[in-house]
Amino acid sequence: MSANRSESERHEAAKRSLSPKRVAAAAGVFVVVLFLDFFLNVILPDSSIRQLLMLAACNVLAALSLNVINGMAGQFSIGHAGFLGIGAYTSAVIASHMHHFFGGGEPSFARSFAIVPACLCASAIVAGFFGFLVGLPSLRLRGDYLAIVTLGFAEIFRLIIATAQADSGNGQSVMGRISAAISSLGGQNGYQGIGNDGIPLYAGPFWVFGLAALLGLVAWRIKFSGWGRALRGLREDEIAAAAVGVDPTRYKVTSFVIAAAGGGIAGGLSAIMRDGLGIVNPDNYNFQTSFDAITMVILGGSGSVTGSAMGGVFVTFTVKAIELLQGSSVVQDLRVSVEWLDLNALRMIVYAMVIIALMIVRPEGLLGERELFGKRRAVQR
Amino acid sequence: MDLVLSRVAKNFGGLRAVFDVSFTVKKGTIFGLIGPNGAGKTTVFNLITGVYKSDEGSIHFGSHNLGPLKPAQIARAGIARTFQNIRLFSQLTVIENLLVACELQKRAHLAAAILRLPVYYEDENTMHGRAMDLLRVFDLDGVADEPSTSLPYGNQRRLEIARAMMLEPKLLLLDEPAAGMNYGEAEGLKVQIRWLRDTFDLSIVLVEHNMQVVMGVCEDIHVLDHGETIAHGTPEQVRTHPKVIAAYLGEDNSEFNTDGSAA
Repeated sequence: MSANRSESERHEAAKRSLSPKRVAAAAGVFVVVLFLDFFLNVILPDSSIRQLLMLAACNVLAALSLNVINGMAGQFSIGHAGFLGIGAYTSAVIASHMHHFFGGGEPSFARSFAIVPACLCASAIVAGFFGFLVGLPSLRLRGDYLAIVTLGFAEIFRLIIATAQADSGNGQSVMGRISAAISSLGGQNGYQGIGNDGIPLYAGPFWVFGLAALLGLVAWRIKFSGWGRALRGLREDEIAAAAVGVDPTRYKVTSFVIAAAGGGIAGGLSAIMRDGLGIVNPDNYNFQTSFDAITMVILGGSGSVTGSAMGGVFVTFTVKAIELLQGSSVVQDLRVSVEWLDLNALRMIVYAMVIIALMIVRPEGLLGERELFGKRRAVQR
Repeated sequence: MDLVLSRVAKNFGGLRAVFDVSFTVKKGTIFGLIGPNGAGKTTVFNLITGVYKSDEGSIHFGSHNLGPLKPAQIARAGIARTFQNIRLFSQLTVIENLLVACELQKRAHLAAAILRLPVYYEDENTMHGRAMDLLRVFDLDGVADEPSTSLPYGNQRRLEIARAMMLEPKLLLLDEPAAGMNYGEAEGLKVQIRWLRDTFDLSIVLVEHNMQVVMGVCEDIHVLDHGETIAHGTPEQVRTHPKVIAAYLGEDNSEFNTDGSAA
């Protein structure tokens, strides 16, 4: 190969990286989310619908991140709620303190450019650190055993938050300080910001939808990078992957860290999103949450980026639809006439039926490992 | 670089799988490792590639001591292998199987891939080109985008060799490459093995039951039985070695004679 040709190839490659089409697409998304940030409350006056849409975007991020472990790496984590929760608490605390530091008032769009990135970076780092710790046993454990470790981790996190008490232990000792710090997160009642004023909700549609788009792109590129290919190879056959130089240890732990960091961002975003609840509660991060995340990935098609995203939206709306169904007059009348009817049980039954039906019709999920639209080859020949 | 095994031993619980095995594979030779079923040939491969750790003895490849290295590191040191029971990445396409194997040669890491930096495209271009060249060599370029498991058995075996070659190895270990091949295919394999050695300037170690292939291409043959060395030499020396004949056909022919099947 002559030097000339590789030079021209390099030139080509540089052009592809910043092609006008890509720049235009990025600018388009930017303008749209910026527009939504200011006008979404005009387009959709009902705040519960706005909340639902933004929640869907957060759930998409949760599904995309879990897909890295459960879909691409072929591990089985049933403790994603732990990472979501860690991210949510981290962002909630940092947002509250920064808000306080800046002097309170209404959360302004300008200020969100300082607060939201700081919160989400911290969420990603803290959750990623715990992902590293949980990922280490994944080298020795597989299948159900690893699942139990992840479940245990998520429950430990939830219970530590929920049961911490300020007056336990001596206030001066290290343990006393730690328990005081944890109990300042509100215990069973949840964290509502400094002075229980509510968590400042800085992440408007600009951040929520913008990050969903951006991190969706990142997830896509991870899957179709050499790294993602090697990870999928590792999933198929660990011995063969090692024999061609793919170090299982490094790839598995890295996949856990990436998934946990993504989960942290998803959780953090949901804690500080506009039209959110302004409170994070340990009960929001129980097994049901992990299970919902798994459902999103499996329904959409594990291993598929677009599938997981679809699963995230689908599950969010299904849960909401069931809630609406519970509130409908027919069901309410039924409840009056049948006293023993438990509406929460009803929700689980409908939810389970949807999943069972889908698993019968399409056991590989909506998309399987395929993607919604074809991927252009990185190289055309 | 020479591969040197000296006094290697491996036990599985009470089973002595490999005991006191020493041999040297000189650079550029085609080396045969043969023996009856259960002789420990595949175990030796697994010891060389780090899937198992040897209990005793040492394995050196050039200046590398392979003892403490993990399988992925051994692959990086330039030793590639295929497997007795084919191990392809089944959900990946044919070309993706090859591309996984060059992950360690890339300059673009995950961050570069996410940002789609120019170096990512350069890498993908180069690797894709190399993979297609290899697929052409093994006559698999027409099925590059098919799922790897959709290939017929013989092509899956060749794909495994192609994947191993993607590492640009200095030593290639082939575990029963001729298994399930007919006479004609085995003849083709012989040509391919010699061609690989000559073209890519590497050493090849072959575990094989097909004597047509072993005697046809190997320059140096090491015979194991029950984990121990029973013979070593050129194909002619091994073919006529009394212990080898005994190991393959049995020492005492009286059993055959009583039921008349050996006549």
